[in-house]
Amino acid sequence: MSSPSPSTHIYHFAAAFGAGGLLTLMILFNGTLAVYGSLFFASWVPHLTGTVAALMILLFLRPKRAMPTRPPLWTYLGGVSGGVTVMLTSATMNTALALSGTIALGLAGQVLFSLFADMRGLFGLPQRMPSRRDYLSLALILVGSLILIFFGGSA
Amino acid sequence: MILFAALAILAGVLVSLSRQINGRLALSTSAMESSFWNHIVGLGFVTIAALLFGGLFAGEPLAAPWWAWLGGPVGVIFIAAGSWLIPRIGAAQTALLIIAGQMISGVVLDIIMGAPGSPLARAVGVALILAGMYVAQSAKQRS
Repeated sequence: MSSPSPSTHIYHFAAAFGAGGLLTLMILFNGTLAVYGSLFFASWVPHLTGTVAALMILLFLRPKRAMPTRPPLWTYLGGVSGGVTVMLTSATMNTALALSGTIALGLAGQVLFSLFADMRGLFGLPQRMPSRRDYLSLALILVGSLILIFFGGSA
Repeated sequence: MILFAALAILAGVLVSLSRQINGRLALSTSAMESSFWNHIVGLGFVTIAALLFGGLFAGEPLAAPWWAWLGGPVGVIFIAAGSWLIPRIGAAQTALLIIAGQMISGVVLDIIMGAPGSPLARAVGVALILAGMYVAQSAKQRS
């Protein structure tokens, strides 16, 4: 990608932080559904209602396509990776790892692979090298998260 | 045990992988279109898996409270936000800030719902996360 390195603005922070809040709601909703129905059902229903909701938003807003050419076919497969995640998480949740261990290791995998992808510019996304301050912020956020996961009752 | 630990790490890698693939699709289309494809392809995948393993409608799903059915539309906004952010602020920054928001809102939710947990650990954890966000923010402003 030859695009100039875009700078981070406060609204990027707000959007990401808010998305984290949505994730908490999503886990509460889908997790409650899984208490009453099967794990498959708790993943199948949000995918179904989400597909309908996204289609309605697309028809209503009609967002412009950023590029006239079709993207490669593999870019449409993000949902498969998400589907496998649900199965892996439900497989490990009931082992000795428990929910807290599953979440903590998942966070580690997520952050390490994200760093690797940034450094290499994987999947046609802009390449970027993390600075020393980025690593400091990463360490603070991860240690804070681990304290919450293991001692804060937040799982 | 090591196998399950590896699977838990792999689950995290796949979360990041999925966000990057969706982000690449959003670069060519739009964040909302990327979220749509994520959901419809995921729906096909979960449907096939459920047909293979069976038990999709086991239990008493209709007894669930009405709000438990709202995860889908929330997820649409969540996936669109991730697809929009990742080409703009990078995969690591996106992941960390989403984790920060998830953790802090989780503490708020736990307090509202009266879940047990150490108040000291909650205060220290939230303080460290906020400090991490402050460091990331000040770093970007200087460059």
